[in-house]
Amino acid sequence: MSTIAAFVMASFTVPEKIEANPQSMLWLLPLVAAIAIVYKATKLPKIKAGNFLKEAVILSGSIIVFMIIAALALCTLAWLITD
Amino acid sequence: MEFKIRIMVQRSKENHVLFLLIVGLLAWLVPGAGHFLLKEKTRAIIIGTTIVLTFCAGLYVGSIGVINPVGAKPWYVAQIMNSPMVAVLGHMTATGDYPVYGRPNEIGQIYTSIAGLLNLLCIVNAVYLAHLRRAQTDGG
Repeated sequence: MSTIAAFVMASFTVPEKIEANPQSMLWLLPLVAAIAIVYKATKLPKIKAGNFLKEAVILSGSIIVFMIIAALALCTLAWLITD
Repeated sequence: MEFKIRIMVQRSKENHVLFLLIVGLLAWLVPGAGHFLLKEKTRAIIIGTTIVLTFCAGLYVGSIGVINPVGAKPWYVAQIMNSPMVAVLGHMTATGDYPVYGRPNEIGQIYTSIAGLLNLLCIVNAVYLAHLRRAQTDGG
């Protein structure tokens, strides 16, 4: 029991090793899902599994697509300014 | 007679404000508890699970060191919206025994702060729902 408790405590007292590379951007995906789920949980008048999942997935997709568009626009702007 | 009615209305309003305060406070103490009090059990479970998981994911990635009431006050303000329990963690980490830098610090702070802001949204939503129900009861 104490070993398990020590392992759990250690997991939350030592940071994970995450490199500052493009793959680390994937950490935004679970966060987007969490935002979409909580937002839809507060907004939908009645929660039914199928409809709720559909709405949450659509919102997650919309956020990701918008972020990609914003990133492309900023990259283009930076390229136009620097070149 | 009119005086008695006025007192009853006054007491009813006071009870309503007290109820709204209890809903808000409970929603802050435990994510989802405000909705649970309003008998929105499914909503409460979804909100509670998602916010707690997001917060724990942030702590797992960055360690409890991401809760830094001394060096990262703006983040701490958002993090404490999760629950008053964050203040206990903040007290533990204020000594600087859990240093965290770089990308894990960023991701951990973003996750825990977003979880806090989502809980703030849910607190406001629970209080609004409680108020709306009362208004509908009075109207109908």
